[in-house]
Amino acid sequence: MIPRRLRTWILVWTPVTWLVLTLITYPKDRPLSSGPAMIIKGFFAPTVGNYPALIPLLLAVPLLAFGAAKLVRQARPTPLPWLLLAAGAVSAAWFVAASGLLHGQLSLSGRDAHAAWLFQTVVVVLIAASIYAWGAANPERAELTVWNTRQIWRLYKANWQGMVGLSIMIFFVAMALLAPFLANHALLDPTAQIGKPFATPTLSYYHWFGTSEQGMSVLAEFIWSARISLAVGLFATAISTILGAGVGIMAGYYHGWFSEVLMRLTDAFLVIPWLPLAMVLVAAWGQNYLILVLIIGITSWPGTARVVRADALRVRELQFIERGRAIGSSDWHIMQKHILPNVFPLVFANTILVVAIAILAETTLSFLGLGDPLNFSWGTMLHYAWDSGAAGLPAWWYLMPPGIAIVLVVLAFTFMGTAFDEVLDPKLRKREESGGRPDEAPDRLLPLGGGIGGSTQDLAGGVPSGGIWAGPANDWDPNEPGGPS
Amino acid sequence: MDKRRYFIRKVLNALLTIVLIASFNFVLFRILPGDPARLLVPKGRFSMDAMAKQRANFHLDKPMWEQFIFYWEDTVQLKFGDSFAQKRPVAQVVGERIWPTVILVGTGTLIATVVGLITGVFAGWRRNSKFDVLTTNTGMVMYSAPTFWICLIFIMIFATWLRWFPVGRMYDPGAVYTSWFSQFTALLHHLFLPAFTFAITYMGEYHLIVRSSLTGVMREDYVLTARAKGLSDSNVLWRHVAPNAMLPTVTLIMMNIGFVLSGAILTEAVFNWPGLGLLSYDSMVQRDYPVMQAVFLLGSIAVIVANLIADIMYYYLDPRVKA
Repeated sequence: MIPRRLRTWILVWTPVTWLVLTLITYPKDRPLSSGPAMIIKGFFAPTVGNYPALIPLLLAVPLLAFGAAKLVRQARPTPLPWLLLAAGAVSAAWFVAASGLLHGQLSLSGRDAHAAWLFQTVVVVLIAASIYAWGAANPERAELTVWNTRQIWRLYKANWQGMVGLSIMIFFVAMALLAPFLANHALLDPTAQIGKPFATPTLSYYHWFGTSEQGMSVLAEFIWSARISLAVGLFATAISTILGAGVGIMAGYYHGWFSEVLMRLTDAFLVIPWLPLAMVLVAAWGQNYLILVLIIGITSWPGTARVVRADALRVRELQFIERGRAIGSSDWHIMQKHILPNVFPLVFANTILVVAIAILAETTLSFLGLGDPLNFSWGTMLHYAWDSGAAGLPAWWYLMPPGIAIVLVVLAFTFMGTAFDEVLDPKLRKREESGGRPDEAPDRLLPLGGGIGGSTQDLAGGVPSGGIWAGPANDWDPNEPGGPS
Repeated sequence: MDKRRYFIRKVLNALLTIVLIASFNFVLFRILPGDPARLLVPKGRFSMDAMAKQRANFHLDKPMWEQFIFYWEDTVQLKFGDSFAQKRPVAQVVGERIWPTVILVGTGTLIATVVGLITGVFAGWRRNSKFDVLTTNTGMVMYSAPTFWICLIFIMIFATWLRWFPVGRMYDPGAVYTSWFSQFTALLHHLFLPAFTFAITYMGEYHLIVRSSLTGVMREDYVLTARAKGLSDSNVLWRHVAPNAMLPTVTLIMMNIGFVLSGAILTEAVFNWPGLGLLSYDSMVQRDYPVMQAVFLLGSIAVIVANLIADIMYYYLDPRVKA
C-alpha cells in the first residue's frame, strides 16, 4: 500500500512538473494578444520539449543504468525497474530522434521538433509512475520519507528568513516561466523601438521601466532576462555541486596519497583567481551560455569540496562505517549508502548558497561583456547600461531594475540556504518548544533512531545509517537477498 | 608543532602550489584553440615573418617538453614578451599598474576592515538587538549586491546628481599639479568613490563573519568563567571574546587581499582606475594574451603569498597552533 500522502503528492506534482517543463520551451512568438486559441495551442507546439539531443541522453543513461541495477538486484518482481527502463528507453528514443542517428549522423546539439512534445510527456508520466511503484513496493520507507519531508517543511515554515527567500524565489521563477505571456519576445529585437532612447518611465505597460539607449522596452528585457540569469545559475551549481561533493567525499573517505592529491588539487583551484581565469577562457572559447555554465561550474567547486570533506572526515569516524567495513562492504558502497546520506544535508544547504554565487558570477561575466550576445540576462542589461553611459544621464530606470532583481535573487538564495542550514543541522536550530540548550535537545526528525549530525553521534553508532532522506534501514533492504552487498 | 617545521612546511606548500599554478598557466595558454603563434601576433596584420619571430620568441617551434623548460626560464626572469596593444615589454606594462591597485585596494580594505569588524563585534555581542538586526540585514544586502552595480549607482548619485566627486581616473586628464599637496588632495578626491564602493562589498562579508564567529566564541566556557569572575562587560568583550573571534576574520581578510586582482577588476573597470584590474579587463577586450598570461600568474601568486602570510600570522596570533 502506498502512503496516501505520497499518492497525493505524485498526483499534484506530476502535472506541475509537466507544466513547468512545457513553459520553459513554450513558443516565443505567441503574445497574449494572439488570442486564447493560439495560446492553448502553444502548449502543444512543436517547440515544447525540443531540447538539444544531449539532454535526453543525460536523462536516458542514468535511468537505464538505475533500472538495470534494480532489475538485477531485486528478489521479488515489482514493476519499478521495468518502469525505469521504459522511461530510459523513451529518453533514448528521444535522443536518437533528436541527434539524427536515424539519418546516419550524430549531433549532440541536434533537435527534433516532431515528437519532442510526446517524448517529454511520456517521460514525465513514466518517472511519476516509477515513484508510485517505489512507494507501493517500499511503504515503510516511503512513509518515512514523507514524514521527514513534512517535518523539514514544518521547521522550514517557522523560519521567517527562509519563507521570505522562498517567496522572492517563487516570484522570480514565476516571472521567468511566464515570460512568454508577460512580455512580447519580439520587443527584444534590436530594431523594435517603442520610443525615444532613454525615455523616462510612464504608466503604459511596456514603458514602466522606460526605454534603453536604443529605445527598447526595459521591462521586456528585464522579464526575459530572468530566464537566463536563473538557468545559468542553476546549471552551473549542478556541475559545481557534483564535482565538489564527489571530490569532497572521496578526499574525506580515503586516506593516504589519493586524498592528498585531491586536496592539493582543491587548494590549487581555490587560489586561482576565478575572474581572470574565466575571462581568459571565455575570450578563447567564445561567448555562449553553455561555456559560461561550464566555466562557472568548474571554478566554483573547491569551496564545496572543502566543506564536504570536513564533514566526510567526521562521518568516516562513526562506528557504523567501521561496522560496514567489517562485514565487507565495498568502499563505493560505503561512500554511496552511508557517507553521502550523512553529508547530504550539508551538501544541500551549501548547494543553495552556491546558486547565489553562481548567479553573481554569471552577472559579473555578462557585465564585462562576456555574456551570450544573442540573449539578455540581467548582467547583459547592466553591461549595455554601463556602455551607453546610463549612470551619467542619469537613467536610473535602466540601472535599478536589473540590479535590484539580482540583489533580491541572491538574497533569496542566501536566506534559503541559511534557513536550510538551521533546519537540517539540529545544533543551529532554534528550539521553539523545548527549553533545553540547543545542542542537547533530542532529535525530532528521525522517529526510528539514527542521527543527522554530530549531536547524535553516540546514538548513531548502533544504527546502520542516518541520512534524512535515506531513512534508518538504509543498508538492509528486505527485498534484497542476503542483506548488504 | 615545532616552529621551524611549521614554517618550512607552509613555505614548501606555497612553493608547490605556485609551481602547480605556473604549470597550469603554461597549459592554459596552449590549450586555447588555434595556433598559439597566431594568438601571439596581433589580429589582422600578421605576416609570416612576424609569426616566425613570435614562434622563436616563445619557442613554439620546439617540442612541448623543451617549451616547458623555456617557459620556466622566461617566467623566472620575468620575460613575458611584448604587449600587442602597447608594444612594450609586458613586465614594464604590468609594473606601472601595481601601485594604483595597491592604493585602491589598501584604502578599501582598511575602511572595510575597520567598519566591518566594529559593527560585527557589536552586533554579535548584543544579538537580536535593534543595532544587530539593522546592520546584519544591511550587511546581507551589501554582500548580495554585485560590486559593479554599486559602483554604477554611486556614480549616478555622487558624481552625476550631487557632483561631489569626479568620475573615474586617478587625476583629471591633462591636469598639472603645482605642489605635491594639491596632487595628493586630487588623488584623494578621485580615490574616495572607488575605495568606498570597493569597501562596501567586503564590509558586509566581514560584518557577517565576525558576528557569527563572535556568537560561537561567546558560548565557550571560559567566557562564562570570565563573567563569573565579575569582569566588566567591556573587559569580557575586548579582552576575552573579540581576540578569539578575530582569528577566522584574519584569514578571510588575507585571502581577500590575495584576491585583490579579481576583486578590483570590476571597480577599476567601472571607475577607469589605471590599476591591474583595468589592465586585465583591457587586455581581455583587446585579446592581449601576453599581458593576460602575466596578470593571471601574478594574481595567483598574490593569493598564495597572502595565504602564506595568513598562516604565519596565525602562528603568532593563535597559541593553539604551537601546541
